[in-house]
Amino acid sequence: MTSEVLIRASGLHKVYKTGQVETPALNGVDLEVPRGEFGGMAGPSGSGKSTLLHLLGALDKPTAGEVFLEGTAVSGQSEAALSSLRLHKVGFVFQAYNLIPVLTVLENTAFVLELQGVPPRKRENQALEILEELGVAQYKDQFPNRLSGGEQQRVAVARAVASGPSIVLADEPTANLDTKTSLDLIDLMRRLNQDHHTTFLFATHDTRLLDRVDRVVYMEDGKITRDDRRS
Amino acid sequence: MKAAFRHLVRSRRRSILAAMAVVVPVWLLVLMLAMIGGMEQGLFASLTEYETGHLQVRAVGEGLAGGALPLILDPTPLLAAVEAGEAIAWYTLRLEAPALAASADRSLGVLVQGVRPEEAARISPLPGAVYEGRYLEADDDGVIVGEALLRSLGLSVGERVTLMGAHPRGGSGVTRATVVGAYRAPDPALERTLVQVDLGLAQRLVRTPGAITAVAGYVGDVDGPGDDWRISAAVAALQEALPPGYEALTWREVAPESAVLLRFMRPLVIGFMAAFFVLGGLVVLNTLSLSVLERTRELGIIRAVGAPRSWVMGHVLWEAGLLSLCGATVGAALGTGLVLGVQAAGGLPLPGAYQEGLAAFGVEPVLSLRITPLEVALSAMAMVAVGLVAAWYPARRAARLDPVETMRYDE
Ligand SMILES: Nc1ncnc2c1ncn2[C@@H]1O[C@H](COP(=O)(O)OP(=O)(O)OP(=O)(O)O)[C@@H](O)[C@H]1O
Ligand SMILES: [Mg+2]
Repeated sequence: MTSEVLIRASGLHKVYKTGQVETPALNGVDLEVPRGEFGGMAGPSGSGKSTLLHLLGALDKPTAGEVFLEGTAVSGQSEAALSSLRLHKVGFVFQAYNLIPVLTVLENTAFVLELQGVPPRKRENQALEILEELGVAQYKDQFPNRLSGGEQQRVAVARAVASGPSIVLADEPTANLDTKTSLDLIDLMRRLNQDHHTTFLFATHDTRLLDRVDRVVYMEDGKITRDDRRS
Repeated sequence: MKAAFRHLVRSRRRSILAAMAVVVPVWLLVLMLAMIGGMEQGLFASLTEYETGHLQVRAVGEGLAGGALPLILDPTPLLAAVEAGEAIAWYTLRLEAPALAASADRSLGVLVQGVRPEEAARISPLPGAVYEGRYLEADDDGVIVGEALLRSLGLSVGERVTLMGAHPRGGSGVTRATVVGAYRAPDPALERTLVQVDLGLAQRLVRTPGAITAVAGYVGDVDGPGDDWRISAAVAALQEALPPGYEALTWREVAPESAVLLRFMRPLVIGFMAAFFVLGGLVVLNTLSLSVLERTRELGIIRAVGAPRSWVMGHVLWEAGLLSLCGATVGAALGTGLVLGVQAAGGLPLPGAYQEGLAAFGVEPVLSLRITPLEVALSAMAMVAVGLVAAWYPARRAARLDPVETMRYDE
């Protein structure tokens, strides 16, 4: 797997300020994510996994350091530019409540395409295709609360990849799922990675999921303590 | 927009409550405007039909005495100009002069109004307000006086009254005339001072045969105050055509005190109603604030997947707009329905106290309602605008949510 660098992070620091209290979340993180990689991130609670994902996905700005997303420096960008960057280059999957409750499964999946300005017919077809790939097309006209947790997460993954992002960042996407459903979801993501060459990076507590990845980044106290590649 | 609509449907109970807070002000405003419209119509009708006409032509200059109007000795050139104008559909002549009315032992200052009795039904309320005796006939030698004047002079219908007119050059004319009828008017001052006679008698009183003080004219196609522009246009055209020394006046200029009332009623009520609109706006604000608060997490996700702030802002404003629009439409429909219902029933009867006085003065003792589609539309649109302004604050707050922050409050 040879590699154009998709994301490069260097010297990332992040300190959260809540009133007078300062919480350091990242203490100098350097990371390169090559295009097409299927990566996992592990580490104890509070080690900074979510924070790092947010910074890599231009959802938040580092206190110090820089993130380059396909060569574009994230810091110094306006709020509108960051939104646009996320819209076109990043897909996010969170732990839960990913979907907009008042939109159907199909509408949720097509939502990002709608924001991108894709015309209705085209975005519906595109969304439907992805839903089929993820095996949840039969729920297309249902509202999310009628679906099981696993099905909801599949729809969330569908939405994340529907817009054709450079990378999908998933923050504990299986945390609320049982083992079998979790493994199924990871397998589906893996298949998308192989079929579409979409880059994935997901954080998890579940070590069993890490058997299926190209690389595991271990974090502790806001630092990368180990970086295992297995290809 | 689709999402905004479904949100409203989903939190149905809250939406309906909020919409109701929007329905009521619009409904009330439509009713109030219709009431004002009806009152304006009534005032306009009684004023222009019975007192001033739509317009008047008068001579410029000093009158006989006090505030009296100057005499027009020969109205012929004037009438030629009035008749040449196409806008004026109908006119009649008048001669008003201050005079002294006396019985055997008492005298009072009055205003003698000379009219053409056969045309007076159109220009004076008195024909309908006579309660004893009869109204004037053509070339009548009798007079019509108010009940209050009759009592002050100690006279009764059928007895004779002495009228003394004034003329700057010719001295006063004196006439003894029979009181052929007495009227009642809601305005006691009017009842005490207005004496109506045939035009010829009035001319004898000022010792100037053929003279008048005013031509009162009516413009075609005028139904109410909304057609005022036709009157203004006719007056402007007439002014051009008049020989020098004469002026054409609209009814507003002839009776400024009454016209002022018409002008102030509407702003006053609209100002008062604004408070209800603000209240409606506050309810919209509160509803959307709650709705935004509830959806913090969802809005965070929407921002995370790349929706710009403007999208979130627009989303909340759409919700407010839809909510206000539904409420305003219902309010406007209910209001219009009620107005149409009252119109079909011939107006709302007024409380007893008003009935007699108004009836005596030829005004229908009912409250009629009148509203134009434009007013209804503007009322509804005003509410939508207020709703949108009120939604500004929650919309801005929603747009400024930090997605990372919203993600922390997971379950
Ligand atoms: N928005 C925030 N404001 C203040 N402190 C924060 C914020 N987000 C995270 N932190 C703190 O930063 C540190 C890193 O948090 P982070 O969520 O990145 O860890 P994590 O590895 O994702 O943990 P978990 O496995 O529990 O999700 C923690 O101490 C956390 O309390
Ligand atoms: Mg986390």
